[in-house]
Amino acid sequence: MNDNPIVVENLVKYYEGRCILDGISFTVPRGCIYGLLGRNGCGKTTMIRILLGLEPPTRGRTLVLGQDSMRLSARTHGRIGYVAEGHNLIQSYKVRRLIGLCRGLSLQWNEEFFGHLMTAFRLPPDRQIKDLSAGMRAQLNLALAMAIDPELLILDDPTLGLDTVARRQFLELAIDVIQRQGRTILFSSHILADVERIADRIGVLVAGKLVVDCTLEELKSRIKKLRVIFPDQAPSDLYVTEIVNQRQQGREMVLTVANWNPQKQAILETFRPESCTELPMTLEDIFIECTRPVSAVVPQESEV
Amino acid sequence: MLSLIAREIRDQVVYLVGLCLTAITMLALLILQIYVQMEMVYLPILGMGVALLLIGFCALGMGQMYGDRVNRIAPLLATLAVTRTRILAARVAVGVLAVLATLVPIAIAVTLVLGAFLPPLEFYWRMIVGISITSLLVGMACYCVGLLIGWTTNKTALLLVDGLLLVALLVSVVWIKGFGLDTAGLLLLFIGATLLRTWQTFTSASL
Repeated sequence: MNDNPIVVENLVKYYEGRCILDGISFTVPRGCIYGLLGRNGCGKTTMIRILLGLEPPTRGRTLVLGQDSMRLSARTHGRIGYVAEGHNLIQSYKVRRLIGLCRGLSLQWNEEFFGHLMTAFRLPPDRQIKDLSAGMRAQLNLALAMAIDPELLILDDPTLGLDTVARRQFLELAIDVIQRQGRTILFSSHILADVERIADRIGVLVAGKLVVDCTLEELKSRIKKLRVIFPDQAPSDLYVTEIVNQRQQGREMVLTVANWNPQKQAILETFRPESCTELPMTLEDIFIECTRPVSAVVPQESEV
Repeated sequence: MLSLIAREIRDQVVYLVGLCLTAITMLALLILQIYVQMEMVYLPILGMGVALLLIGFCALGMGQMYGDRVNRIAPLLATLAVTRTRILAARVAVGVLAVLATLVPIAIAVTLVLGAFLPPLEFYWRMIVGISITSLLVGMACYCVGLLIGWTTNKTALLLVDGLLLVALLVSVVWIKGFGLDTAGLLLLFIGATLLRTWQTFTSASL
């Protein structure tokens, strides 16, 4: 058993001369639900494809279940469930045939669980994949990935195209999988409420760099959004480090700071503000602040 | 592995049926020749049949690899409990089966026909064995060419032109050098190199 099913070391990927991933390093511990966030085109899918060995890295190394991604054995592949963005299923096949193929090529197949999912999703076995709706394709892909009882489940924007009910079903399933001992999930999504609901560790990719990699609680406790009112015009520079975002209008300044601590508090107090109130932040607020053009890197646990 | 081979056979059923029909037609002509006419009048038609078979082998290889790229089959298969090498091995196994299943019966039939017309000399029998082995290797070489260009060529028109040109080139090599051991050796080398290059590009490509 590997303690870190996913290890990424100094991963760099160039595509047609453009840097997609720039020195990414992180690990996903066993039993963790890791939410990978980032705007469109920031490199989430590329990272996942590299992890699965579908794309070679330019530099760096990725280990999945203890094996180099580009040399994953069939046995290791059989322990990984994958739901691809856009659900790349073989369009010309019927649902029944695709299920037969996946069953035939799996190391283990949980027929009971799969049957339960097929009933829950009401998937028609005699329809061609190309005739299914996007939501049905997502459900089928998810059911196929879950049926092999994966030790590691990699989901690339899995709820894309699902309606609210199906999305809720999916999240409950994901929680069900994690509750089975030792299961690990890496999951990228645009729906931050979903990530907030199930992820216990978050990574945020901005322009190819991993600017956040910590637990959800830690992220919420480390990033503070403050509304500061000054007696006169707000100063243009506060001399506080790790400012993620700063907006000012007249006497008011709204400040988002990473790693807020007493030293930073003391520096702020030298400007004698009239009031300083902390604004509540959801994951979505943090994500928006972190993915603005200029954003400070939130150091990883070991650096704090 | 058996699941992969079964999938390949089912996906390429059109090519396989086409190849079998051509082979059956050729066999029927040969049998007709032996039992009815006792004359070698069908040779030009048989020649055309052989050309069709060789193009068919190339088309089978192209269909397997180009069809994979168009329908994005390998990205799905590569995330299941198989390696890319096994996916390719299953394809090659189906190709070898197709070549053997179509050419071996024809080779046997040709041997019988020639046996009926040629004098019983050892020299002729060695020649017949040489022709049969070289024909199998040419068929395999055409299939391997189809695999490689099916994976590396992007445009359908270019794919067809490349395929036809390379098949013509292989046939002309045999035409010029004859059906000897040196031709068989050359074809074996060509098959090995083409398979190695296909494996290398298939296992290292972005899927």
